[in-house]
Amino acid sequence: MTVIIWVAGALAALSALGVVFSRQPLYSALSLVMTIGALSVIFLVLNAQFLFVVQLIVYAGAVMVLFVFIIALLSPGAEDRVRVDSRFVIGAVVALGITVAMVVAARNGITFNNSNVFRAQQIGQASDPYHAFSFDQSDLGLVNTAGNVQTVGGQLFTTFLLPFEITSLLLLVAAVGAVYLTRRTRSGDPPERRERALARKPEPALEEDRIEVEIG
Amino acid sequence: MNATNDFPFLLGLAAFLFSIGALGVLIRRNPIVVFMCIELMLNAVNIVFVSYGRYLNSEEGQVFAFMVIVVAAAEVVVGLALITQVFRLGRELDVDDLDEMSK
Repeated sequence: MTVIIWVAGALAALSALGVVFSRQPLYSALSLVMTIGALSVIFLVLNAQFLFVVQLIVYAGAVMVLFVFIIALLSPGAEDRVRVDSRFVIGAVVALGITVAMVVAARNGITFNNSNVFRAQQIGQASDPYHAFSFDQSDLGLVNTAGNVQTVGGQLFTTFLLPFEITSLLLLVAAVGAVYLTRRTRSGDPPERRERALARKPEPALEEDRIEVEIG
Repeated sequence: MNATNDFPFLLGLAAFLFSIGALGVLIRRNPIVVFMCIELMLNAVNIVFVSYGRYLNSEEGQVFAFMVIVVAAAEVVVGLALITQVFRLGRELDVDDLDEMSK
């Protein structure tokens, strides 16, 4: 459905701008939740029902809750408003270059694949058990004959079995790594590490205290 | 309804989201926001995977988008653990401030 894709895409683009240009990190996080929600709607319209659910559960559920939790834990202050300085100019030029390169590549891709875009229509119409959830029935491919979850799961456990297993290893390593990085030893941090950190940067809270004492 | 009209729009949307994410990585200084912008770029890649898979009538795009989501989740976990460690050292949360390795 063209209209749904356009509305969701516009929402995703607007809230992506909100992610970058919000001063408060929490507002950035909420904008990112909105982007992810809009993109999940696009996935649903594109007949990727499994990814729609995964996107909502993993991204909007787990990852964003982790982000908001870390923001609440560290409570970083608001940044200054984004200024137009050399840093901004360099970033904008690089981003613009990436955009141009991707648009050129995408146009080449469209013309290159023009002949077999609707391969499934030549094969024949497929019946879709997920009729209620798929908006676009006219050119649905044979790939979703058994249902989207079954199809993707079948691919994951047959053709892509090795990458799938490596993914599980990656998750295990990430979990162990996170626990190792955030562990607190019984005697606290090593003293030399703490001294180095304190010597490098005087704590701003101490300076404020000193000023108050002098005033008092 | 012919859905080919949406395909260039989706690719353009993905290009826009990726560029905005790259811009955010380059101009923002809070590492948490930088991580969010990386998520934005990964999501843009997911759109391309899924829409190409849709219009080539192949499910492999969805499989790879699934892989990207898993990798993104693992990356966020490790990255946020690193950020909390930096914070525990009593440092300001500023990517410009973390330049010991270049000294």
